[in-house]
Amino acid sequence: MADALTPRHRWGSTELELAAMPASPPEGRETLIRIRDLHRRFGPRHILRGVSLDVYKGETLVILGGSGSGKTTLLRHLMAMLRPEEGRITVRGLGAGGGDLDMAQASEQQIESYRRNLGVVFQGAALLNSLTVLENVGLPLIEVDRLPVDQVRSRVVEALRRVYLPAEEILNLKPAALSGGMRKRVGIARAIIQKPRIILYDEPTTGLDPVTVNGVNELTLDLQQKIGVTSIVITHDIGAAFMIADRIALLYKGRIVACGSKDETRANEHPVLQQMLTGSTTGPLTEGYAK
Amino acid sequence: MERTRTKDTAAEVITRSQAAKAAERTGGVLVKQARHAGRAVLLFLDTCAQLRNTGRVMPQLVRQIEMAGFGSIVVLALIAGLTGMIMAMQTGFELSKMGLQGNLGAIIGATFLREMGPIWCAIIILARVGAAIAAELGTMVVNEEVDALRVMSINPVRYLVLPRILALVISMPLLTAIADFVGLAGGAIVSQAMFDVTIAKFKESAVLLLNGPDFWYGVFKSGVFACIIGTIACDRGLNTSDGAEGVGRATTSTVVMAVVFVLVSDFVLNAFIQAVLRPIFG
Repeated sequence: MADALTPRHRWGSTELELAAMPASPPEGRETLIRIRDLHRRFGPRHILRGVSLDVYKGETLVILGGSGSGKTTLLRHLMAMLRPEEGRITVRGLGAGGGDLDMAQASEQQIESYRRNLGVVFQGAALLNSLTVLENVGLPLIEVDRLPVDQVRSRVVEALRRVYLPAEEILNLKPAALSGGMRKRVGIARAIIQKPRIILYDEPTTGLDPVTVNGVNELTLDLQQKIGVTSIVITHDIGAAFMIADRIALLYKGRIVACGSKDETRANEHPVLQQMLTGSTTGPLTEGYAK
Repeated sequence: MERTRTKDTAAEVITRSQAAKAAERTGGVLVKQARHAGRAVLLFLDTCAQLRNTGRVMPQLVRQIEMAGFGSIVVLALIAGLTGMIMAMQTGFELSKMGLQGNLGAIIGATFLREMGPIWCAIIILARVGAAIAAELGTMVVNEEVDALRVMSINPVRYLVLPRILALVISMPLLTAIADFVGLAGGAIVSQAMFDVTIAKFKESAVLLLNGPDFWYGVFKSGVFACIIGTIACDRGLNTSDGAEGVGRATTSTVVMAVVFVLVSDFVLNAFIQAVLRPIFG
């Protein structure tokens, strides 16, 4: 009978999709990225329906969400691959003259400068198959910074060691010769080689075995502690989220419907969040399937 | 009577609605193709603007020339040689009935230098390299490698497109020259073996009809075909969507569109050569 009084009974669909507005940052915290009322439509599909979110400097924010919730679209905005059509994304201190960067208004040069402060770990690592590990990790140094070969090599070796890879052994290997976990680590090494201020992780643990998943999560934590970067992790891996997050946000039907610390997330009764935490097959996320 | 009229009216309505749908579909396809063509032209212009960075893409350029140029020599030579031999055989049989086999050199020479050399080269390069470019770039898009380049502030047009198109523009005229030579050689060998036309006579006949610019016109056309094949392949590859299925679609559409555009441009270039270049250069 308890099931009859599940949250669905108490939460109307409008309430389920109600956006959680960002609170002011706690003391000692500074907002680095401010997203306000971000919308994105692809033809008739309204993917982002008013995302509002603050990312604090130096934190690891995990964005959870089911399939089709708009995670990838939000990530592409943060990578500046998509510009806000409606709403705003501002990044503190990365605009012209150290001011705020407004993604919608920024020039190509400003976006390029923003991207130099950005590292992205792609879901499949996105290594270029025709290049060796040395060339892959050193690509931004070779192509953008145009550093001499010996400097590139020493920086690549340093980055590979930081992600606990046997640098000298794999430098001249092609990505196809590496395991999935090693490829992911090489992808992380490439993301950190330019010493970014922000790292975006796109489902970093998808498709990996549990041991490698733990390894990647520990690495994320380790980088956070050693380099002190701001990390935004997009995932639907609950275990990983609770292991690495300072705060967890839930994206549902194109809106951030819950956001808080790990304890606040556990205590939050939002049915979508509860369904994700429990992995239940009954709830708002699977409503369409049940029908 | 009433029933018949009603039937006719219904049939007319159906026909009209089908015609409207067909017109809508055709219009939609035309608009889509026009949009693709416009996008490809912009990509080509963007690539031209990146020519100042040629020095920075030298390693990729060398690799692409090796793949597109050297890798295609054997198959192109084989096909050109066989075509020359077959042409000599077929034409020779007919000409020998009238005792005109002495003109084989002129006929095969004109056909190869003006048309067969550049067209065969375009078709071989399209099938071997154009399709591979579309598939490679398409796979890179699907695997987010192109996104990774953009995020690292590396311009994909400079890094991926420029070396590929440039490699084709450098390789194809050279390959055309090889195809011309091997095709003529194949024709000359068959002419001597089957129709008693000596190599010297074959050459003399060819020189009578052809002049220096004929060779260069073919080489020039080949350069234009290289731009068309490279641009269409890169454009389709970079605009791949829908995973592996999309990569297949990009590859197929590259081959189909490039063949059409190569033949259309061949027609236009021939008209241009006859009307503009021949009066000046002969």
